[in-house]
Amino acid sequence: MKRSYVIKRILYAIFIFFIVLTLNFFIPRIGVRDPAERYYPPQGAMSEIEYEIIQQFTREQYGFDVSTFQQYLRYLRGLARFDLGTSLRPGSPKVTELIGQRLPWTLVLSVSTLLISLVIGLLFGTLAAWRRGRWQDTMLLNASTISVALPAFFIALMLSFYLGFKLELFPAYTNPNMVAQFDWSWEAITVVFNNAALPIMSMTLGGIVGYSQTTRNSVIAVTNEDFVITAHAKGLSHRTVLYKHILRNAMLPLATSIGMSISGLIGGAIIIERVFNWQGMGTLFLEANSTNDYPLMMGIMLFLSAFAILANLVTELFYVILDPRVTVGDRR
Amino acid sequence: MSKPNVIFQIVRRGGSLFSLIKKLWQHPKGRVGLILVSLLVLTAVLAPVLAPYDPYDVTQRAAKGLRPSLQHPLGTSITTGQDILSMLIYGSRVSLMIGVSTGIAIAFLGALMGVMAGYIGGFADSLIMRVVDVLLVIPTLPLIIVLTNLLGRSYFVIILVFVAFGWTGLARVIRSMVLVLKNSNYVKAAELAGASRWYIMTKHILPGTSHLIIMNTTLTCAGIMVAEAGLSFLGLGDPTAISWGKMLAEAQGGGALLFGAWWWILAPGAGIFLAVFSFMRIGIVMEEVFNPRMKASSGIYKLFKHLNNRYLDEVFRSMDDEGDPVTSEGSDTPPPPLSGGGHD
Amino acid sequence: MTDTVLEVRNLKVAFPCPGGVIRAVEGIDLTTKKGECVALVGESGCGKSVTAFSIMKLLRTPPSVSRIDKLQLDGQDLSHLTERDMERIRGKEMAMIFQDAMTALNPVMTVGKQIDEVYRRHGKLGKREARRQTVRALELVGVPEAKSRAKSFPHELSGGMRQRVLIALAFACMPKLIIADEPTTSLDVTIQAQVLDVLKVMQQEHDVSALLITHDLSVVANMADTVYVMYSGKIVERAPMRELFTAPQHPYSLGLLASVPKLSDEKQSFVQIPDTVPHPMHKPSGCYFHPRCSSSSDRCERHMPRLEVGANDRQIRCWHPLHQERET
Repeated sequence: MKRSYVIKRILYAIFIFFIVLTLNFFIPRIGVRDPAERYYPPQGAMSEIEYEIIQQFTREQYGFDVSTFQQYLRYLRGLARFDLGTSLRPGSPKVTELIGQRLPWTLVLSVSTLLISLVIGLLFGTLAAWRRGRWQDTMLLNASTISVALPAFFIALMLSFYLGFKLELFPAYTNPNMVAQFDWSWEAITVVFNNAALPIMSMTLGGIVGYSQTTRNSVIAVTNEDFVITAHAKGLSHRTVLYKHILRNAMLPLATSIGMSISGLIGGAIIIERVFNWQGMGTLFLEANSTNDYPLMMGIMLFLSAFAILANLVTELFYVILDPRVTVGDRR
Repeated sequence: MSKPNVIFQIVRRGGSLFSLIKKLWQHPKGRVGLILVSLLVLTAVLAPVLAPYDPYDVTQRAAKGLRPSLQHPLGTSITTGQDILSMLIYGSRVSLMIGVSTGIAIAFLGALMGVMAGYIGGFADSLIMRVVDVLLVIPTLPLIIVLTNLLGRSYFVIILVFVAFGWTGLARVIRSMVLVLKNSNYVKAAELAGASRWYIMTKHILPGTSHLIIMNTTLTCAGIMVAEAGLSFLGLGDPTAISWGKMLAEAQGGGALLFGAWWWILAPGAGIFLAVFSFMRIGIVMEEVFNPRMKASSGIYKLFKHLNNRYLDEVFRSMDDEGDPVTSEGSDTPPPPLSGGGHD
Repeated sequence: MTDTVLEVRNLKVAFPCPGGVIRAVEGIDLTTKKGECVALVGESGCGKSVTAFSIMKLLRTPPSVSRIDKLQLDGQDLSHLTERDMERIRGKEMAMIFQDAMTALNPVMTVGKQIDEVYRRHGKLGKREARRQTVRALELVGVPEAKSRAKSFPHELSGGMRQRVLIALAFACMPKLIIADEPTTSLDVTIQAQVLDVLKVMQQEHDVSALLITHDLSVVANMADTVYVMYSGKIVERAPMRELFTAPQHPYSLGLLASVPKLSDEKQSFVQIPDTVPHPMHKPSGCYFHPRCSSSSDRCERHMPRLEVGANDRQIRCWHPLHQERET
């Protein structure tokens, strides 16, 4: 029963991935007949032959030199070898190579953001649920309204302004030499986290509130369940009931929301990376956008989608351990 | 006697929106939200009248980087000397226009998809839910960036993309609500009576989900306004318009942080905050009105805080048997208020 | 056999609400002797379950406010105990069996572990020893292959098995008092009889007192020695089980008995109770039952009768009790 469930989820994830990669192939072709004409229209000073060559070169770069179906097959063949295509940048670097260079830097931000906001969110959320209706709870409710209404990039700007420029606690801007000079020394790691402090702070504020809210609601929902009364009637202490019975069950909806937010954290870092000029995936994507580097943009998109699918799949499989009911379809 | 009754009936029938606004108005938090939203709408509509300067005027060299003063209540920009207040007023137009029109479009598309998936079921359901699953894993912001690159940076395209990817949440909520309604007895009765699917969908299912749709729409409007600000901040909005996100980008690019021009950053940020906050307020109050369980849980603590012990003693004493005759005299009448000395 | 295990004096519970006060329990006295099964009977909403939770001191403030003159378990005063001290009593000295085993058991914990917890908490046993005791407890309530069943999750067991698990859980430490709140209501009729049998055997063999809370008089006839009939937060009648069934004195008791006609050996006119239980926030004047009572008078409308103690340890709260002639 468990195994068939696991296989079903994996097959479904592959199915979704296939649709996504197909969409990913066709999206940049929306309304684009010929990239050569679109991005390099004929200019006066150019001879016919020169122009032919440029056009031919452009089409090859964008992969438009063969029929659409053949392009699609080529794309699939490439993917089978984990090849996301070639960037249009000078030197024609592979997309996977560029992603490989930038991904660790984005992970520095997103993983720390996830960990910090999860830990604090769990604490706050449980506290708010425990003190339901008291001021701690009201404070959380107000904080959640405010945190949605204050976009993360505005918080980032304010932090950069006050903690960066005014108080000079942390670098208001990422040190441009940070990436180049990184050599795994203790000092270099300190520099990275010093530079990452403000980006991480601006991203965690929203995350903390989000996880607190989810935790609070799910803890309250579980607290009202009968088995919690049973646990109290057994003579278990409040602490044991909270840890062993309430939190264990409250984890379930939280696991889903973590799975959903992992991929969002990487994609959502775009604006924050821009504010601090952090050299991660987000700025890579924006660079690609400003140079119409479609192979790179679509490569990043596909990577992020695959990451999201994988994160969701892992969450679903994690559920098998977390919730014994899931395989019989009695999932809440 | 009957005339006002009839009028009342008509108002009730034709004006569920009217009664909704009335309910919101009666709620103190809802009233704040309503007032703020109305002010926002007024500002947007009357922008040319309200703005003291031409926000597009970039030729005021003498007025560069002025601190807030009587002439320029919110100061001017460092680079071009544009009046911040005027820009702020004009910026409300973009936020409101995009937020509201996208919100309404999403309400229609999301409700349609949700009702179709839930009510028709079968193939339509699985198709729509597969589409939702696919849209959920595609990173939204990068995709929007790609599409604006492809289709051009006009607000029409931006709204289109927001709608194309923003309907999934509402559709899921509506779908589960429809599934509940579909199995309710009154829908089954209508089906047995031979009502057509279209009739049931428009007369029974949609009205049953309307409060969910309205509530979600206000929250969507708020979310879209934030997203639009982010997009404009990245320089991906309509390049010809003034928006709050673009103001923030210009402020950062123009060295507002470096030169300490806090007014240039704070003003658009406050604009975004107030606009989003007011829409969310309304959404949250609606949730409280439609879903009173949330309110009750916090209400009980307030109640206990002001519990009148003397009154409680009285209640407990009245439960005793002893003093035969008078014990329960007049207990039909509603008991006296719980709270003590006037404070609520 | 005559020492008192549970003594409740003047228990009152109220729930303050925005519109007034819900008077859930209005001064109840209960006594349970050693090995005795006492039933608390009444329609839903009459305050039985609130009484049960109050005895376990499981009601929280808020939402409830309660007063009690005396709460004694086996000579020990519980009314002044702190929450921490109560934790040592619950599950060990008195335990509770809940209505719906599906929701009363933690869905993500094996049933064995849930029973282990009781032994580990109160018996201070190690993991392995606790499990040994758990398996023994499960065998005692008739769970076959107890060792492997202990490893299953609640949803993997049948309804009857789950209820047995709850019974094993309650009897784990052989408490002095078991409170069973509608222990069989959620089960099929055929399974009900089996589970009730298990409960009865456990209770009688181990000489445990039981407070049985139910609206089902067939359960009462099966198990109880003494019956308290509760109506709208007050005890209206107390009688030994047989006497209540043969000679009820309160019109309400008589009405309840109409649902099990085969046990009443006298030919009586079929008494139907019209209407429903009064709203606990707006109770009628006088005797709470008078709007539904066929023999109500002016007096009933104005004055609440007292709980009178009669012969044979019976108690009755009525101005016009039935079967008075048999008493005199």
